[in-house]
Amino acid sequence: MKKITSLSITIIFSIGILLFINGCAATEKVTAKSGAQIWGENCLRCHNAPDPVDYSDAQWETVGMHMKQRVNNLTEAEINKVVEFLQSAN
Amino acid sequence: MKSLFRFFMLAFLLMPAMTLVSSAQDSTQTEVNKKNLSAASGKTKMLLTGAGWFGFAYDKDAKLNFNSYGFAPVFLWKISDKLFFESEIEAPQGEFELEFAKLNYAVNNYISIGAGRMLTPFGAYGEKWEPAFIERFPNNPIIPDEDFLPGGTHLNWGAIMGLDVRGRVPLGNSRLSYVLFVSNGPSLDNSNGLIDYENLDDNNANKQVGGRIGLLPFSNSCLEVGFSYEQGIAGNSEDSVYQINSEWKDYSKVGASAMAVDLNFVKSIPKIKSIISVKGQFGSYMVDDAYYSVPEGFTANNYAPGDSTLYTFNNTLQNYYAQFSFRPALLKNKCLKNVELLFRYNSLTEPKDAAWSEKDNNGAGGVVTRLDIGLCYWLNWRTGLRFAYEGTTHVNGEQSNELLARFVMGF
Repeated sequence: MKKITSLSITIIFSIGILLFINGCAATEKVTAKSGAQIWGENCLRCHNAPDPVDYSDAQWETVGMHMKQRVNNLTEAEINKVVEFLQSAN
Repeated sequence: MKSLFRFFMLAFLLMPAMTLVSSAQDSTQTEVNKKNLSAASGKTKMLLTGAGWFGFAYDKDAKLNFNSYGFAPVFLWKISDKLFFESEIEAPQGEFELEFAKLNYAVNNYISIGAGRMLTPFGAYGEKWEPAFIERFPNNPIIPDEDFLPGGTHLNWGAIMGLDVRGRVPLGNSRLSYVLFVSNGPSLDNSNGLIDYENLDDNNANKQVGGRIGLLPFSNSCLEVGFSYEQGIAGNSEDSVYQINSEWKDYSKVGASAMAVDLNFVKSIPKIKSIISVKGQFGSYMVDDAYYSVPEGFTANNYAPGDSTLYTFNNTLQNYYAQFSFRPALLKNKCLKNVELLFRYNSLTEPKDAAWSEKDNNGAGGVVTRLDIGLCYWLNWRTGLRFAYEGTTHVNGEQSNELLARFVMGF
C-alpha cells in the first residue's frame, strides 16, 4: 500500500512538473536577444569574452557545439545566434 | 621604328587591363580553390584548442621552486549538426592522461545525450571553471584530492565513465539547465574507508546515478545557482568480510552519496567601470557506516564490539570555497583594464575520527582552511599572468605560506 501511495505521488508530481515545464516558454525579451547580446552576457560567466578573429567561421561552429555542452543553459537557436555573430565579426 | 614604338605604346596601355584580367583570373581561381578545398574537407570540422602553462612557487623552506608546468590540448570535432566529439589530453607535470573523450548527440533544440569518459557533471568547478585558461588563480581551490587525502584519491574530481542527458528549459525570463548521468560510480578502499570517484572500471554491478540542476533566475543570466546530487554503491562485489557481534558483514553494500551547491554571479557594472564575479561551491561526501582495520599506532574512538582490530567513524567529508574577483575592464587605461584582483577562502573538513584525516596535537580532527589572495594580468582573453599568496592553516594550527606564479597561454 505504501509503495502504491509513493508511486502515485511520484507520478502526479512528475506530471505536474512536466505540465509546468511545457506551460513555460521563453519570453519575447529572451527570444529577441541578438547573438552579440547573448555572447556578452554568457561567455563572461566563465571566461573572458573571446575575440571573434581568433577562429575561422568553420571553427566557430565547432566551438559553438562545445559550448553548448559546457554552458548547457543555451538552446541550439541561441548558440547559433552567437556563432553567427562571431562569424560576421571575424 | 614607328611600328615598334606603336607596339610598345599598345603594350603599355594594355598592361593595366591585362593586370586586371589576370587579377580577376587569380581571384576566380582562388574562389575555385576555396570551393575545392571546402568540398575536399567534407562536413567534419575539427579544432585544436587548449592551454599550456608554466609556474613556480616560493616558500621560506623550499625557497624558489619551478614546480608547475603543463599542457592540455583539447580536440573538438563537429561531425555533423547533431554529432559532436570532444576530448582533452592533459599533461600536468609532464604526465599524459586522457582527461575526457566524449561523444555527444543533439536530440533537439533542448536535449542532448553523451557517452564516454566525461568530466564529472557534479558541481560547477570540475566541468566549467577548472581549465587553466579559465581559472584565474595559479592554484585550484582546496579540493578533496591527493594533496589532502592519501593514495591519490579523487572525490568528485576528474572523470567518470558513463552516459549523460543534458538540456535546458526556458522558464519565461528565467531558465533551467539540467544534467542527469549514470556512471560506474565510486569505489571504496576497504582498508581505510576512502572512496574514489574516478572509477573508470566498474568494481560492482551497481551503477551510480546523479545529476545537476542549474537555475538562472534572471533574463541576463548573471546569476546561476546549481544543485547536484549523486548516489551509488561504492563497495567491491567481492570484498573481504568481517565479523561484528558474531554476524558476518562485507563491504559490498557500502554506499556513497554526495551533494553540492554551486553559485556563480558575474555582472558588468558600468558605474564602477568593472566586472565583478562571485563564485563558490559547497560539497558534502558521505559514505555508509562500515568497519575498517585499525592502523598500527592509531587510537580509535569507536572500536568494533569486542574487537579492537576494527574501528568505525562518521565518514562524511565537506569542503567549500567562496571566491570574489574584480576587474576594471571598462576603463580606458590599457594596463588597468587587464588587471583582475582575486580573493578566495577555502575550507576542508575531513572525517574527524578517520585514521587518515589531519589531526591536532591532541589527536582530534578538525578543519583545514586556506586563504588565497591573487592578481591576474590578462594579455588577451585566454592568456595571462597569475600571482597569488596562499596561506593554509592546518588542523594542528600550523600555518604554511606560499607565493605562487603561473603564466597560462590559451590557444
